[in-house]
Amino acid sequence: MTAVRTEAPPTAPAGRFSGLLRAEAHRFGARRFIQVLLLLAALGWATFTAIGLTQYASPTPERLAAAQQQLQGEVERANEFREECLASDDVPADVSPEEWCGAPVTAADLDLDWYLDPAPFSFAADGVAGAVAFSAAGAVLAFLVGATFVGAEWSSRSMIALLFWETRRPRVIAAKIVVVAVASAVLGVVAQGAWLAMAGLWRTFAGDGVALPDGFWSELLATAGRGVLLTTLAGLLGFGLTNLVRNTGAALGVGFVYFAVLETAVRALRLEWQPWLLTNNASALVVPDGLTLFLGSDPITGESTEYLLGNLQAGVFMAVVTGVVLTLSTVLFTRRDLH
Amino acid sequence: MPAVEMHAVSKSYARRGRPPQQALDSLELVVESGGVHGFLGPNGSGKTTTIRVLLGLIRPDAGDVRLLGRPVPDGLPQVIGSVGALVETPLFFPGFSGRRNLRLLAETAGVPRSRVEEVLETVELRDRADDRFKGYSLGMKQRLGIAAALLKSPQLLILDEPSNGLDPAGIRDVRELIRRLGRDGSTTVLLSSHLLAEIEQVADQVSIMARGRCIASGPVHEVLAGRSSGDVRVRVPDRAAATAVLTAAGFTVTPTEDALLVSAVPAPGEVTRVLAEHGHYLEELTPVAADLESAFLALTAEPA
Repeated sequence: MTAVRTEAPPTAPAGRFSGLLRAEAHRFGARRFIQVLLLLAALGWATFTAIGLTQYASPTPERLAAAQQQLQGEVERANEFREECLASDDVPADVSPEEWCGAPVTAADLDLDWYLDPAPFSFAADGVAGAVAFSAAGAVLAFLVGATFVGAEWSSRSMIALLFWETRRPRVIAAKIVVVAVASAVLGVVAQGAWLAMAGLWRTFAGDGVALPDGFWSELLATAGRGVLLTTLAGLLGFGLTNLVRNTGAALGVGFVYFAVLETAVRALRLEWQPWLLTNNASALVVPDGLTLFLGSDPITGESTEYLLGNLQAGVFMAVVTGVVLTLSTVLFTRRDLH
Repeated sequence: MPAVEMHAVSKSYARRGRPPQQALDSLELVVESGGVHGFLGPNGSGKTTTIRVLLGLIRPDAGDVRLLGRPVPDGLPQVIGSVGALVETPLFFPGFSGRRNLRLLAETAGVPRSRVEEVLETVELRDRADDRFKGYSLGMKQRLGIAAALLKSPQLLILDEPSNGLDPAGIRDVRELIRRLGRDGSTTVLLSSHLLAEIEQVADQVSIMARGRCIASGPVHEVLAGRSSGDVRVRVPDRAAATAVLTAAGFTVTPTEDALLVSAVPAPGEVTRVLAEHGHYLEELTPVAADLESAFLALTAEPA
């Protein structure tokens, strides 16, 4: 009798990573809530642009002349007051009258824009601040997008269905992380582009016509670049936090408790811990030259202690926090029993 | 090669403030390739845990698990493309259409889009494929789940309660589909169900679970034969006289409406002989076969 060995039919392996990545990208793009969030952001942009166009106005020769006249009047009033001050007997004995009443006021001490109502938009003055504000808005949006993307996967339990198709959990999570990182970065770029578009419209229709100073663009681009980095990290942080707790609502609740309660408590009770707060680091990452924090004052000398949180330090801190949350959520995801 | 092999597989769940719950207790399960293998057990017997272990969703505490010859979970990526699964309720994005949900899954596994249309046709959902999943009836959701499981043209199809929520016509269609798949020779269907009739009608083999163990396994008719009561149904022209003869010979006889039920008969030929010796000739003698329900209930009864 001879033993017959039957060959098992060939089995099919799981799909390739590129297919998984494509599917994740489609899944991300098709999420209705993400589309609604982006639509609301676009509506917000259009609303603020329109409000800006009504609140700013370019200076006409007549309005400039009127403002100049107002400014001149203000200079004269200030100098009259100074004269009265010098002539009064209230000057303390140990201070000279010039020191007590200040130097004479000239037109150069005052900004003509202050007397223009409505004021013109100054890209030179507000360009960098706008990039910072759009970085903050982009970061909040990216956090929500990252959180709801994976939160929806858990709530619909399609995360588990996906594991019937790709059983290597690190691959599944890696594909999602790549998609969220790219989408958040794109969101950051779009946010900065939106600011430039908004500022461009305001400058064209209600600008002050002042030439941009040297180094303006390099500073703006550097700020925008750090803003994109912040947006990317915020998206990944939202994703990681939600994947950790497997529920969007719970993740947003944790976020609320942290930002509204913990950070407020630290600012009130432990000023010296401020360099470790996420919002301070997020700001310090984007604001040019970082953020100077007031850490308290010496009770005897009254000398205040300040701490400069630089761009690099803040960036490293944010990246480490994001990395830790992502790693923890990935490790738990790969080890957990899924029901 | 068996499609599924599980040896000495144990799994317990930690419970706060209480002793761990033993979901699988040294489970031994073999599902041979081909045909439909029924997987029966009362709620909490470990059926779904078993399926989740097979699919790598749950890590067992101990034991050896092989799926299509590959160890689980390490070898799962090599065979998952040949395994289709529908576990409990279908898991899809509620806001996406049925077609879009299937296309996303097909993209994940590198399955051509044309296959999506084929499986939609198979489960007769093509007309409603562009409707949102959340608008589907329970039966449609279940059919879409089966369609997803079929996308990969699986060698092993794992279906956990596929008839849940289906109307009678839907149940019949799903049974037909399972029967067809089981007969095609290339697909093994592991069908977990609490519907005994479903298993009895479509399964060739059956495994019965209770308290985390497989307590009976084999061809359906063998499992039933093993639980056979030994009762025979006898029809004779003179039931009263025959009852007296059989009772005198030591048999336990219960008259029914049109026949006699003779209990615990070691050999049916003995009944024939006793009756014939007294001039009673049989019109009918039928062993009373155990149905799956009684076998199931007897096997899964809690020990006293």
